[in-house]
Amino acid sequence: MPKSLYYGPDEIRAKSTIHFTDIPVNAYSKTVQQERENFSDDELLRIYRDITILREFESMLTSIKTQKVYNGVETTYPGPAHLSVGQEAACVGQAYLMTPNDYQFGSHRSHSEILAKALSSIQKLSDEELLKIMESFLGGATLRAVEKMGKTDSVKELAIRFILYGTLSEIFARKTGFHMGLGGSMHAFFLPFGVYPNNAIVGGSAPIATGAALYKKCNDKKGFVVCNIGDGSLGCGPVLEALNFACMDQFHTLWGDDGRDVSGLPILFNIFNNGYGMGGQTKGETMAYDMLARLGAGFTPNQMHSERVDGFNPLAVIDAMRRKLEILKSGDGPVLLDTLTYRFCGHSVSVQNAYREKDEINDWMAVDPIITYRRSLVEAGVAKDDKFEEILAETKERMTNICRHAADKEFSPYADMTADPMVVERLMFSNEKVNSFGDQESRVLAPKEECPRVQQIAGKSRSAFDEAGKPVSKMKTFNIRDAIFEPLIDKFYEDSTLVAYGEDVRDWGGAFAVYRGLPDVLPHSRLFNAPISEACIVGSAVGYAMCGGRAVVELMYADFIGRAGDEIFNQMSKWQAMSAGILKMPVILRVSVGSKYGAQHSQDWTSLCAHIPGLKVCFPATPWEAKGLMQTALDGTDPVVFFESQRIYDMGEMFHEGGVPKEKYSIEIGDVNVIQEGKDVTILTVGAALYRAMDAAKELKEKYGMEAEVINLHSLVPLNYERIIESVKKTGRVVLVSDACQRGSFLNDVAANITELAFDYLDAPCVVVGARNWITPPFEFDSYFFPQPKWIIDAIHTRIVPLPGYVNETQPSDVEMIRRAKAGV
Amino acid sequence: MAKAVIMPKAGITVESCIIGKWLKNVGDEVKVGDILYTYETDKASFECESTEEGTILAIFFNDGDEVPCFTNVCAIGKPGENFDDLKPAGAASAEAPKAEEKAPEAPAQAEARPAAESTAKPGDEIKVSPRAKALAEKAGVNASDATATGPDGRIIERDVRKLMEEGAPVKAAAEPAKPAAEPAKAEIPAPEFEDVKFSGIRKAIARSMTQSLSTMAQLTNHHSFDATAIQAFRKECKAAGGDVGGITLGDMVLYAVSRTLLAFPDLNANMVDDTTLRRFKHVNLGVAVDTPRGLMVPTIFNADTKSLLEISREVKTLAEAARSGAISPDLLTGGSFTVSNLGSTGVEMFTPVINPPQTAILGVCGITQRVKEENGQIKLYPAMGLSLTYDHRAVDGSPASKFVKELCQNLEKFTLLLAK
Repeated sequence: MPKSLYYGPDEIRAKSTIHFTDIPVNAYSKTVQQERENFSDDELLRIYRDITILREFESMLTSIKTQKVYNGVETTYPGPAHLSVGQEAACVGQAYLMTPNDYQFGSHRSHSEILAKALSSIQKLSDEELLKIMESFLGGATLRAVEKMGKTDSVKELAIRFILYGTLSEIFARKTGFHMGLGGSMHAFFLPFGVYPNNAIVGGSAPIATGAALYKKCNDKKGFVVCNIGDGSLGCGPVLEALNFACMDQFHTLWGDDGRDVSGLPILFNIFNNGYGMGGQTKGETMAYDMLARLGAGFTPNQMHSERVDGFNPLAVIDAMRRKLEILKSGDGPVLLDTLTYRFCGHSVSVQNAYREKDEINDWMAVDPIITYRRSLVEAGVAKDDKFEEILAETKERMTNICRHAADKEFSPYADMTADPMVVERLMFSNEKVNSFGDQESRVLAPKEECPRVQQIAGKSRSAFDEAGKPVSKMKTFNIRDAIFEPLIDKFYEDSTLVAYGEDVRDWGGAFAVYRGLPDVLPHSRLFNAPISEACIVGSAVGYAMCGGRAVVELMYADFIGRAGDEIFNQMSKWQAMSAGILKMPVILRVSVGSKYGAQHSQDWTSLCAHIPGLKVCFPATPWEAKGLMQTALDGTDPVVFFESQRIYDMGEMFHEGGVPKEKYSIEIGDVNVIQEGKDVTILTVGAALYRAMDAAKELKEKYGMEAEVINLHSLVPLNYERIIESVKKTGRVVLVSDACQRGSFLNDVAANITELAFDYLDAPCVVVGARNWITPPFEFDSYFFPQPKWIIDAIHTRIVPLPGYVNETQPSDVEMIRRAKAGV
Repeated sequence: MAKAVIMPKAGITVESCIIGKWLKNVGDEVKVGDILYTYETDKASFECESTEEGTILAIFFNDGDEVPCFTNVCAIGKPGENFDDLKPAGAASAEAPKAEEKAPEAPAQAEARPAAESTAKPGDEIKVSPRAKALAEKAGVNASDATATGPDGRIIERDVRKLMEEGAPVKAAAEPAKPAAEPAKAEIPAPEFEDVKFSGIRKAIARSMTQSLSTMAQLTNHHSFDATAIQAFRKECKAAGGDVGGITLGDMVLYAVSRTLLAFPDLNANMVDDTTLRRFKHVNLGVAVDTPRGLMVPTIFNADTKSLLEISREVKTLAEAARSGAISPDLLTGGSFTVSNLGSTGVEMFTPVINPPQTAILGVCGITQRVKEENGQIKLYPAMGLSLTYDHRAVDGSPASKFVKELCQNLEKFTLLLAK
C-alpha cells in the first residue's frame, strides 16, 4: 500500500490481453563434437567421473539397505534412504558452473545434489584453499580420519574422500559425520563448499533458499542461490509462496530507496522433475500443469525465464545453467528451471514400485546417462572404452574404502550418549550473544534521533503513574509498543544485517503500530511488506539466518502460526541442533494474540510453540518485560517466538519500580517476574491474564485478607522454576492463569512440575485456570470464554481454600469436569 | 438546530484520541468532507472530516487534548443557534476520570459468620493435604485430629496449625461459633528445625530413662544445707595445692554420701525384680558425667572404703575416661546409688531420674544465698540444694528424708565427718 505506487482505475480497467512468450522445451540440440569447443576432454571425462561417484554412492546405500553388504563391507543402516539413482547427470550438470560462493539448497532426495556441488567446488578451489577448509572444519578431525584411509598425493582426491566420508558417516549417524550424525541422510550439508542444507520436508528448501537469496541481496554478498526441489513439491503452498515472494515487484519498484540499483532476487528455482511425488504421478495424476515449466508464466511477466531442460544430458543442463546465470547476473531473476530426470529406484528403498510398470523403468534405464553420455563421448573420440572402465573401477575402489571406514564403529564411532548424556542437549540452543552479524555500515535513511517516533517516545512517561501515584493518560505513557520498538530501532543501527518484514509492517507501522516511525529511517531493503505468505515469511527468515544474518519477522496474529507450521516447528526450531551447532538461528518471530476478533484471531498459542523442542518462547505482559526480553532476543543467536497481546499494547509500566529504564538492559529469557509478594497463595500468570490476576489479588486482599504472590511467567521456554518453587514452599497454594485454552495449556506442564518438585509443600492441587475449550466467541462473550478475576477466586474457593461466605459460579465440579472432558469441550 | 461532530473511533481497540491540530476556527464556514482537525492514536494519524455543513459555533477541545471516542468535539450550525446540549461533560479536561476509582469496599474483617466449620461430611474418608501432613508429622500431632476446613473435607495446613495452637483436637460439632479470623490467623511462621537421629548412647539413655519413669514409683525430696563449712574446707584444700587442691565441693558430697549411705541400706540397693531388693555391703557410687555423646554414669566401687582424696582422684580419672570414650564398660555398671551434680549450672532444685535398677539418686544443686535466724539475727548463708529421688516401692519417705537430713548434717560439719 505504498502511496508512491498509483493504482488507478483508468489503467487497471483498460481493455487489453496478456501476452506469453514461448517456453522452450528440451531445446538443446548440440552434439558432443560441437561441445568440444567449450569443454576440454578432461572436463568431459570429469563430468562422467562425477556421475559415477554419485551413482556408486546411491548403489552402495541400496546394497546396504537391501543386502546388508556392499562390496564385501558388511553393515546395516536403519535410517531413511531417499535415493536419487538416475538423477545424477542432472545434478552434475547443475553444479558444473557453480562456485563455492553460489549456495545450493537441497531437496529431500539430495545425496547427488550435495556430492555434485561439492565435487564442483573441489575442482574450483586451489589446493591451499581446500587444505585450509578441511583443516579448519571441526578442528581438522574429519581430515585426520580421512588421512588414515590411505595415501594420496592429490589434495583434490583427499577432498573427494573427505566429502564422501563426511557425508556417509553423517548418514550412518556417526560422530565423525559433518554434523555428528544428528542431521542424517536428509540434512547433510557442507557450508565451505556452498552446500547448504537439504530438507526432509518436501519443498522445505523453497522458502529457506529464498531467504538465503534475500541475504545475498541485502548484504551485497557475491554469488547466487540454487533452490532444488522436486516436482511433487509444486503442490506445496510454501513452495508457491516462495516463488511469489522471490519475484515480488517491490524489488524493482521500491527497493531503490537505499541508493543501490534495483534488481531481482539472485535465485534459481530448479525443479528436479522426475515425474513422481513419492508415488503420485505429477503429470497426468496429481498436478495440472502438463509441463512444469509452464508455472513461471504464472508468477512474472518475464515468465521467470522458465524452460524445460533434459536432465539426462549433463551438457544440456550445463548449457541451460550458463544462460540462466547470465540472467541472474543481470539482475533479472529469479529464474525457474524444469530439469527433467527420472529415478530408477523407489521413493525410498522400502517403497515398491507399485505405481509404475517395469517396462517404463526399463525404457528410462535404456537411456541412462551413465550409458548414453559415455557412448556419446566414445563416439566423439573423447576417450576409449577402457578409460571409462578405469574411472568406474577407481570410483568403486574409493567408495569401498570410504564405506569400510564409515561403517567401522571404532574408526567412526557413534556419539556416546551414555558417557555424555548431554550431547544433543548442548546443541538445542546456541545461547550466544552477538551484538552484530554485520560487516558493513547499517543502511538507514536518517539518524535515529530524527525519527519522529523516537522524539515522541522521549516525551512519554516511563511509568503508568506520575510522581503523585496518579495514573498517567495512556496516550502519554511509554507502553508495550514503545518497549518493543526501542531495542529494535537500536539494533537496526547496530547490526547492518538486521531485516524486519511481515504482512503490512511498513506503511502504517504494522497492524498494531509497533513499527510506527521505522519507515521514516529505514529503506525497504531493511523493512518491507511481505506478501500474505506466512510460511515463506518464517521460512525465508530461517534461510536468512542460516547465511549469517539476523531477522525479525512478524505474523500479525498468533492464529497464523498454523500457516507457517512447518517453518516454525520443523525449520526454525531444529536447524541449530540438526547441524550440530554449525548453523545459528537468530530469528525473532513476533506474533500477536488478538482480541475482539473472534475464533480465528484471538488465540494464545504459546503452548504449541513451547511444546516444540528448539524454540525459545516468551510472552511479555509489561513494558519493562517487553523491552528487556526483546533486547535479549535481539542480542542472541537462538530462535525466539515472541508473543504479544493486543489487549495490552497500550499498557504502561505499573509494577517495575522506577518504570521502564531509558537505558539498554536485558532480561534473561527464562526468568520470572515477581509482580507482588504475598504469603497466602501463589498466582502464576502468562500474558494479558496478569492484569486480571491482579484484580483477583486485590479482591482476595480486600475481602478475605489473603495476600497473593503474583508471578508473571514472561518466558515459557526456557523456564527457571527456582523462584516458583520458593513461592510454592511459602504459600503451599498455586493457581495458574493464562488465556490459552485449558486443555493442553503449557500451564498444565508447569502445574505438573510444581507437583513433582514441591509435593509435600502443597496444601491443595495446583489449579490451572484457562480459556474454555471452545472457539473464541464474539467479543461480547469474552467474559464467558477467557479467565476472569472471578474465575481465579472461584478456583481458590473450590479447590484450594474455601472463602467464608463465598459463592462459586464458574469453577466446574468434579462431575462437570469429567463431563466436559468426555464431551471434548 | 446545531449539530455535533464527534471524535471518530479510529480502530477497534482505540478508546480515545489526541487532537493534533485544529485546521478550522470558531466562525468558519465548513462543508461536509472538509477537514476540521487532525487527530492521532498511538498507532497513526488521521484527519477528521466534517459530517455537518454550517458555521463552527464552538470547539470543545484544544490541540493536544485527549478525547474519548464518540465524544462531541465541536458544534456546527447557523450562527446564534444554541449548542449547550452538545457540550460534552468534562470538556475542559483531557483526562476523563476513570470509572474504576470507586471507594474501595471495606475489608470484610468484621464478618460474623463461622469460619472454621468443618467441610467434611460424616462418613467421609479423612483427606489431608501433603503440606498439612508434612506439618503434622514435624509437629508430632495427628493430622486426622484436625477439623477439616479445606475443599471437600480436606484437612489443610491451617487446620493442623489450629490443632497445634489449641493443643488438643477439637470436634467440629463442639466448636462454638467464632468470628472469622481466617485465614490470616492460620499463618504462623513455619517452625525451623532439623531432625537428628539418636546416637547409640542417646538411644540407650532414652530407653533407660523411659523404663525408669514408666516402671518405678519415683518421688523427689528437696533439701538444702549450709555450705559454709565445705566452702571453707575447699578454700584450705585449694591453698594446699597439688591433688588436694583439686578436691571439689562435689567430691565432698560424694565422700559424705559414701559415709552416710550404709546406714540406709534400702537406698544403697538394686531392685532385682518386683519383689526382691538387693542391698549392697559397700557403696558403689555412680557418678553422672556429662560427655559429648551424652550422659554416662561410671562407678566408684567401694567408695565407703576410700579417702576423700582417693574419691576425688578417681572421679577425675573416670570422668576423663568417660569423656574420651575410653572407659571400660565394666565401670559403667554395678552402681548401688548415683549422684548427679548440676551444681555448677545454677540449678536450684530438680528431679533426677533413677538409674535402674537402683532405688535412689541424689541430685546436687547449686549454691544460693539464703537467710537464717541465728542468735536473733538474720544472717546470710550459702545454701546448697540436694534433691533425692527414690523409688517408693523400695523406700518410704521417712527413711529417705532421714538419709538426706543426716547427709546435710555431715556436710555442715564436714571436718568432723572426715575425722570419723
